[in-house]
Amino acid sequence: MVRWMKIYVCVKHVPDSAATITVKGENEIEEGITFLMNPYDEHAVTEARRLKTTLPRAEIIAVCLSRPEAESTLRSALAMGADRGILVTTAQHHDAIMTARILMRAIVQDGHPDLILTGKESIDSEGMQTMFRLAHLFDMPAATNVVKIETTANRALVTCEKEAGVREILKLGMPCVLAAGKGLNTPRYPTFPEIVKSRKKEIKTVGVESLNISTPASSVKRVHLAPALEKRSPREISGTTLSIAEQLVTILKEKARVI
Amino acid sequence: MNQQYDAIIIGAGVIGAPIAYELSKKGYKTLSVDKRPDAGEGSTAGSCAIVRAHYSTEDGVAFAYEGFKYWLDWENYLDHVVDEKGLAKYMNTGSILIKSQGHKWRDVKKHYDAVGVAYEEWDNETILKHVPVLDLHEFWPVRRPEDPTFFDEPETELEGALFCPEGGYVNDPALSAHNIMRAAEAKGAEFMFNAEVVDIRSADGKVQGITLADGTRIDAPVVVNCAGPHSYKINQMAESVWEGCNIKTKALRHEVMYCPCPEDYDYLNDGYHQSDGDIGCYIRPETGNLFLIGSEDPDCDPQEWVDPDEFYAGKGGHGRDNQLTDEQWKAQCYRLARRIPSLQVPNQPNGVVDLYDCSDDWIPVYDKSDLGGFYMAVGTSGNQYKNAPVVGAMMAELIDACEKGLDHDKDPFQFTMKYTGRKLNVGFFSRKREINYNSSFSVNG
Repeated sequence: MVRWMKIYVCVKHVPDSAATITVKGENEIEEGITFLMNPYDEHAVTEARRLKTTLPRAEIIAVCLSRPEAESTLRSALAMGADRGILVTTAQHHDAIMTARILMRAIVQDGHPDLILTGKESIDSEGMQTMFRLAHLFDMPAATNVVKIETTANRALVTCEKEAGVREILKLGMPCVLAAGKGLNTPRYPTFPEIVKSRKKEIKTVGVESLNISTPASSVKRVHLAPALEKRSPREISGTTLSIAEQLVTILKEKARVI
Repeated sequence: MNQQYDAIIIGAGVIGAPIAYELSKKGYKTLSVDKRPDAGEGSTAGSCAIVRAHYSTEDGVAFAYEGFKYWLDWENYLDHVVDEKGLAKYMNTGSILIKSQGHKWRDVKKHYDAVGVAYEEWDNETILKHVPVLDLHEFWPVRRPEDPTFFDEPETELEGALFCPEGGYVNDPALSAHNIMRAAEAKGAEFMFNAEVVDIRSADGKVQGITLADGTRIDAPVVVNCAGPHSYKINQMAESVWEGCNIKTKALRHEVMYCPCPEDYDYLNDGYHQSDGDIGCYIRPETGNLFLIGSEDPDCDPQEWVDPDEFYAGKGGHGRDNQLTDEQWKAQCYRLARRIPSLQVPNQPNGVVDLYDCSDDWIPVYDKSDLGGFYMAVGTSGNQYKNAPVVGAMMAELIDACEKGLDHDKDPFQFTMKYTGRKLNVGFFSRKREINYNSSFSVNG
């Protein structure tokens, strides 16, 4: 009998990048704003859904460590194609060391991962550590800013984007931890029938204290949070229509690096 | 000595600019003041700029239909003025009004017949021929996704639509106000920006002029309030004006969503404006092959009345700032996703949040006031963009007639529409009216 392949996707509940972030007290943010799935994690869920279609039997499990309100982010993951979710509830912020330990324990409690997908970073803390720490705890290889994944029974052939324009192709043993970059795919958002279906999918809620995570030798604590005020100054692009278009393309290519 | 003008217009949005234009054409020396840095940069910029004829009253339909003619003949209306920013474009997509329990479409049809609006009756099959992505089940009543019954399976089918081949939207509402400003300037009008009005001065029951935040005093025997969502604050500054209005205005927060169109449908080029009371939404194409999804204010949606100054200052917090909320994003997108089952709804909200200057019955107030020389074109309630050029012509004639001695409260001014030739009793828009219960009490007007 073919074994069910388990793909775990770690998703983070983050503030909407378009929201006005207001600092509350010393190190908190005003939370009366929209929170949603970390955008890089959307690529991870979309990829899990694609991989599932290429495999004989696979299950996608979305895992999230957050406040109970993060159920909405897990529901989004379920609507985008995850089969079920695990919400590890906590009232406090955790550093990457603790987050990786908690996610690992939650995954181990649930089953044996054949593949773990994450986003390459979270847009709120931008630590870029959790996925490496998770791989270390599992004793698995890891690759980040992944833009292409091909899997065989026990190997993953993975293309990673390094500096803009440079790509690296890696061969990783499975299971492994892969962190999705933007170039991996176009997020596949849910249609209404998929949203309806996702409402009936299971979300298992686990309190972080029940996981008995050991305290690390040392930890990171956020002491102070202050808004970074970026000064932007407009620049007028002038000339003929053709020259304006050319200048714009150059800026988008070389400065913004978006095309 | 204070600067002197014949008329000061407060607000250089899509309502204020045409009034300045038409008054200038009549020979008035006008000054438009606006607290924003350019014309149309206030709530006009956030308008969906829909041009459609269906309104809940016959006068409403006639007024809108008259407006079409201006948009269709935009360059002529502007007297071929050159705007360095280019001209706004009217996109004549055609307009579908879904027959539903959410619209008094039978009344609309009667009004179309009375006014002479061109329309066709479409059955469901015809609708699908034109808009193949639709699911034409009836989803009424409009509900919110927080309500479990929102997800109930529909049982009945809709019964077709009224289609107007004329109708659509203007691609850049702020630019359209800017165009009118340039046209007005060509007739001698002046515009002053970054200028916030803090006082309306008056003496002996007559308006004398305005005072700006920097202390500048400007005098004129005529002052017109076109301040959009700030209109009630301006009315409160003017002696006896606020108290003299039976119909009052206030600022309502409103969200409009952009959701990507399904890949196999070219909505931008093949799509129509569609008003769908069955799901409480209207849609029109937006650049990038997006659906612009507006709300028709269904009863189940909360109304958030805000202070416009706090709102525009982005003071943060749910309902007060200009950020979309996740729950309204889901409400509007999921409603449309029921109608379009292949629509993919992104997790991140995308759209525009702005304010309606909303009157008690969602019908505007185009009127004089209890203070001599003080006029108002307010309470546009999210549904007057399309009428703006007609409002300009009507207000200029009303002001001129009143300044020449007409007692508009006693003997309401009759405005003759240039294109349709219909006469409109401007008393319909009176501040003294009782609440008009024929209104839809929504953006549909």
